Amino acid sequence: MSRLNMGNRLAGRIADAVLVLAALSAVLPVLWTLVNSFKNRVDIATSVPRLIFTPTLDNYLYVLSRESASAGLVNSMVIAGVSVALGALLGLPAAYALARYPGRWTNDIQFFVLSIRFLPPVAVAIPLMVIWLEVGLYDSRTALIVTYTLMTLSSTIWLAVPAFKRVPREIEEAGVVDGYSKYAVFFRVALPVASRSLIAAVAFSFVLVWNEFLIALMLTTSDAKTLPIVASELTQLGRDVPWGILNASVILLSLPPLLLIGVLNGLLNTSLKKKD
Amino acid sequence: MMPTISVLGALALVPTLFAIWIALQNRELGRTDTHFIWFSNFLQLWSDRRFLNSIKVSLTWEFITVPATMLVAVLLGVLMFERCNARWRNVLATLFIVPVLLPRVSAAFVWKFAFHPLFGAATFPFRALSGEPVDPLAGPVSALFSVALVDVWQWGLFFAVIVLKLLESLPRQPFEAARLDHARAWEVYAFIALSMLRGPLVSLSFVKMIESLRAFDLIYVMTRGGPGISTETLDMYAFSQGFIESGRISYASSMAVLMMVATSIAFTYIWNWTRAK
Repeated sequence: MSRLNMGNRLAGRIADAVLVLAALSAVLPVLWTLVNSFKNRVDIATSVPRLIFTPTLDNYLYVLSRESASAGLVNSMVIAGVSVALGALLGLPAAYALARYPGRWTNDIQFFVLSIRFLPPVAVAIPLMVIWLEVGLYDSRTALIVTYTLMTLSSTIWLAVPAFKRVPREIEEAGVVDGYSKYAVFFRVALPVASRSLIAAVAFSFVLVWNEFLIALMLTTSDAKTLPIVASELTQLGRDVPWGILNASVILLSLPPLLLIGVLNGLLNTSLKKKD
Repeated sequence: MMPTISVLGALALVPTLFAIWIALQNRELGRTDTHFIWFSNFLQLWSDRRFLNSIKVSLTWEFITVPATMLVAVLLGVLMFERCNARWRNVLATLFIVPVLLPRVSAAFVWKFAFHPLFGAATFPFRALSGEPVDPLAGPVSALFSVALVDVWQWGLFFAVIVLKLLESLPRQPFEAARLDHARAWEVYAFIALSMLRGPLVSLSFVKMIESLRAFDLIYVMTRGGPGISTETLDMYAFSQGFIESGRISYASSMAVLMMVATSIAFTYIWNWTRAK
């Protein structure tokens, strides 16, 4: 019995070690990039990784003062902002209708909405490039906004339908008894009650378009380039690679999605919770 | 609702149908004399060595990343469920979703630099031991595995969190009954928990299969399909046919259409599977 116990204990220790290692592997690469973004070139380009160095802000100042990077940042913010707003504006009422007034086509519509999320990006980008070229909107913010609205709209609807379904019917009925119209019930009851999940759904659609790469790469050449494209161009530079600047731009690019980690973790919790 | 769905329908169907339309033509960038050549793009694909190679690479990529992701996810998910209390589960879950939230361009760069033969942190132990620089992204086989590592890093850890939540949603009674029968911990998971979760786990694998078809961002930043064409996946090859090399939009589109068909089949499967439950 005691031998078994010892074996169990050892297995437990190994299990804990595996978990710790996995947790470290999740964050260390990102932290290392963060550390490197404060280094001068001489401290990065070393054979032995250097932990002690004089930190500098030069890399960030350089990135932010560079025209291409700041233009990319502005493009990313405008394009992601507008397409997320459009996705929420059009998507939330539609999701509410799907959740509350199921009809004959509800199931098919949901299938269709989710299937969009899974379309291969190349398959969307190639025809859209031809279309935008012919309309004369190629390499414009408008073109990217319209294209991204397809993504934000489908993901917002997909995540908001269950959120609205979780709103207890009794609360909405109480609103009707109080003399609320259908629209008032939506705006003054359903939206506020489901707000936490809805914010998370919108945050998710933001991360999706903020991180998007392939479509932006195919639909822009100079004017409408987003931050991921600018960052990837920096990583393709030749010999004298400005490693510090690169690390700094990668950190800037990754900050917005990482700041939303709390909201998105909550989304994961609510959407996978046991359905009673 | 109807207006939104029609907007969505227009936004989705126009490019999809147009992709097929283009695939049946001989459109090239910068040329105007376009006409229909029907299925010859599709026929030509099968005698194109690079296309066949890219199918091979894509399949290899699927066979590496999907099982590896599921393995990591189930292992870490079960370990978290077995070893951690609610608080630690939450801490680990938050850490484990960091990689997947990173823009893929960032994830690719973080690891590309870690794999740098002279300055990389991941290659440092090899440098220290052998005294020579190693470049994992330079060999055809090691390059594919190195990029796959990044993919599994992003998705395996994220799916581990999902597996944990799935385990938490299971009823407790079968577990307790098994423990009363002196079942060992691994037996409880292998025979009870995982078989109860078979449906969701299969769906997750399908999701990963579709997700693995779009490895473009990682590969574009880390290897650009190289060395040679050893990491050139379907979407990478479609991109270079349409953009970098010849601007053969129609030819590229015919590959995209094939990917669309594959994705639709896999997706319909997932949908029916999850609905049947």
